[in-house]
Amino acid sequence: MSGGPAVRVSIESTCEKQVQEVALDGTETYVPPLSMSQNLAKLAQRIDFSQGSDSEEDGIDGKPRDREWTKQEPEEEEGTVKFQPSLWPWDSVRNNLRSALTEMCVLHDVLSVVKEKKYMALDPVSQDPTAGKTPQVFQLISKKKSLGTAAQLLLKGAEKLSKSVAENMENRRQRDFNSELLRLRSQWKLRKVGDKILGDLSYRSAGSLFPHHGTFEVIKNTDLDLDKKLPEDYCPLDVQIPSDLEGSAYIKVSIQKQAPDIGDLGTVTLFRRPPKTKAGTQQWHVKLEAAQNVLLCKEIFAQLSREAVQIKSQIPHIVVKNQIISQPFPGLQLSISLCHSTGEKKNHRATPDKPKPDDHLYVLEHNLHQMMREFHKQQLSSVVMPHPASAPFGHKRMRLAGPMAYDKAEITSLQHNEGLLEKIIKQAKHIFLRSRTARTIDSLASRIEDPQIQAHWSNINDVFESSVKVLITSQGYEQICKSIQLQLNIGVEQIRVVHRDGRVVTLSHQEQELQDFLLSQMSQHQVHAVQQLAKVMGWHVLSFSNHVGLGPVESIGNASAVTVASPNGEYAISVRNGPESGCKVLVQFPRSQTKELPKSDVIQDAKWSHLRGPSKEVHWSKMEGRNFVYKMELLMAALTPCP
Amino acid sequence: MEAPQVTVMPVTGGTINMMEYLLQGSVFDQALESLLHRLRGLCDNMEPETFTDHELVYLLKGQQGNPFILRARRSLSHPTSPWHLRYLGQPEVGDKSRHALVRNCVDVAASHSLPEFLNEMGFRMDHEFVANGHIFRKGAMKIVVSKLSRILVPGNTENTERLSLSFLVELSVLAPAGQDTMSEDMRSFAEQLKPLVHLEKIDPSKQSASFMGT
Repeated sequence: MSGGPAVRVSIESTCEKQVQEVALDGTETYVPPLSMSQNLAKLAQRIDFSQGSDSEEDGIDGKPRDREWTKQEPEEEEGTVKFQPSLWPWDSVRNNLRSALTEMCVLHDVLSVVKEKKYMALDPVSQDPTAGKTPQVFQLISKKKSLGTAAQLLLKGAEKLSKSVAENMENRRQRDFNSELLRLRSQWKLRKVGDKILGDLSYRSAGSLFPHHGTFEVIKNTDLDLDKKLPEDYCPLDVQIPSDLEGSAYIKVSIQKQAPDIGDLGTVTLFRRPPKTKAGTQQWHVKLEAAQNVLLCKEIFAQLSREAVQIKSQIPHIVVKNQIISQPFPGLQLSISLCHSTGEKKNHRATPDKPKPDDHLYVLEHNLHQMMREFHKQQLSSVVMPHPASAPFGHKRMRLAGPMAYDKAEITSLQHNEGLLEKIIKQAKHIFLRSRTARTIDSLASRIEDPQIQAHWSNINDVFESSVKVLITSQGYEQICKSIQLQLNIGVEQIRVVHRDGRVVTLSHQEQELQDFLLSQMSQHQVHAVQQLAKVMGWHVLSFSNHVGLGPVESIGNASAVTVASPNGEYAISVRNGPESGCKVLVQFPRSQTKELPKSDVIQDAKWSHLRGPSKEVHWSKMEGRNFVYKMELLMAALTPCP
Repeated sequence: MEAPQVTVMPVTGGTINMMEYLLQGSVFDQALESLLHRLRGLCDNMEPETFTDHELVYLLKGQQGNPFILRARRSLSHPTSPWHLRYLGQPEVGDKSRHALVRNCVDVAASHSLPEFLNEMGFRMDHEFVANGHIFRKGAMKIVVSKLSRILVPGNTENTERLSLSFLVELSVLAPAGQDTMSEDMRSFAEQLKPLVHLEKIDPSKQSASFMGT
């Protein structure tokens, strides 16, 4: 070893005690250090007493053996030592440090010698002179090769990058497909068959008995050409619906006057444009909803046509291709047709030149849909479930038919005897009757000014019944003359009229009957008005009759008449009003006012001249006054002399 | 006066010719919830229906070996419902490829005097049990998940003891004779229930005499 100050190396162990365990709150548990006796025991264990007393005395001898042994085995010793254990555990460290010191000293010596430049000198490595003289071709080739290698590396890297980008896109599209699939699944029934995903858009799980399978297939749309730009409405998921459910359909219900010829039956075409899709709805959703609607329309039409053929009615229903025609009322025709357009060929020829009036009754179409769904719901009602559970499915009440010994009449009353077609015909009849009643009342109201007719339609109606309250009043005298108030209950085929005084009249569906009835009520009103007016004016009612048997016979209803006398009894007014003959007013004067008095000897007292004598007709049309009651009031006022 | 002539021709139409297609399986009690959820999703959309029934099995021992078995069942949850009398014939030994057990089935509704009537006719009650559970429906298929309990005191339906720790699952269809299309639908439906419950055709004659053979 060369000189130099001794290097002091101090070594200390990092931790006295070993950590056995760290608890959850951070406290450390140390391995308790060995006590003196434990330590001694541990060391004694390592002594091999079979070696004899040599190893204990001679420490020096032990060293070379030790060194030998360390050469053979790894430096760290375990407890499985057979020879004398090393006296000093830091032996290996000391050796390594010593060799490191040696190396450092050597380096230091070399550098100091080199610095002097007397005995050693540093010399750069000489370049090979022939290396600079390589021909340019070789240089070119070598440069090309190296460039080529570099380019290849770059290309490989670029390829990897583009592949990873494409993969990302593909993953994203897959994720998009999956998320679309999740959205689809949240609204439609799907199941996996093999490697295909099929769905069910029929109403069978909702109670329908239509035999159409209604299966659609979900198609993945993810392998696209990346170069082409994605279309705006791109969707990674596409559905394929059955071919007979494509396009859109609706059921057209309309009431027309009976067509003179039946040549163009079954040729109803769709001329209603499909509604625009809402922004934000997926294409598959629109497609599936349209297909489901087509299926429901087909089911409704199939049910209607089946009933049209099976049910016996007085006037048979005609079923032609996609149209069912029936006659609710004579002269009227109800047509129900299934309009299904596949949307492939645009049929411009079908659109008429002048737009046909849209006589499509939307309410009835909606009702058809609702009734079908109700029929579905009935199939699923818990009334059908058997109790006890081993019994077959069927209506609860039909199960009682056997034990309770029902006869045929009772059983038929339990069955649903009214089909879809009958219900819709009844509804159509009611709608038609109601609209015609409204039209009659309105036409009368616009035609006749005195008396006035008011109609208050009730807000809450039934599919088979509506009601309207008809009031006949005179303008200005509504509080006095309100005796004619009619409640009309419009049913399916009849109109029931309830009068204020309790009379109930049933009218048929004929329009003329209602009109005649209202006209007769109006004429009665005038007479009633005179009666009420007399009470107010203080005149006395001498006689009143709703249906007089005298005078010309009216063709509509009956004439009514009233006679009132003035307060002092001198004058009397007689009114006869008929719906056809109009009104006739006669005034009776006291005898003293008549010009021609028959002279006779019978009457001797002068007081008899105050009695009422002959009567004279009033030119009613020349009277002043805007309506009948006003004129009557003026007349009464004129005949009542002021005191 | 002569009595009217009695025809000796047997009745052939109506309910006599109905066949019952049956698949059976069972689940442990712990798996019941998941099975009910799955059935609720697969079957028709209705409110889940529970039932409690009491069934009595009557035997008529003739001179021949096999006694004639009739099953009378009433609902304990709907006491006013009529009794249900059922005859189940021997399973048809048709082709082995048929997926479900097929047997002749006659169902008759009866009034509440059925047990006395059967006693008068000579039937003797063999055993009775109480079944309660859920009933589902898909189209024409009926799925019944039931737990059977033994009646300890004859006639007393309150005091019952469960027979096992599992629920019996039965898939059955009632169809007129000759229509064999239902077995395919039953098999595909059973496939959809596959990991939860295995429905298969279990021949009752191959089992030893026990309560389970319904």
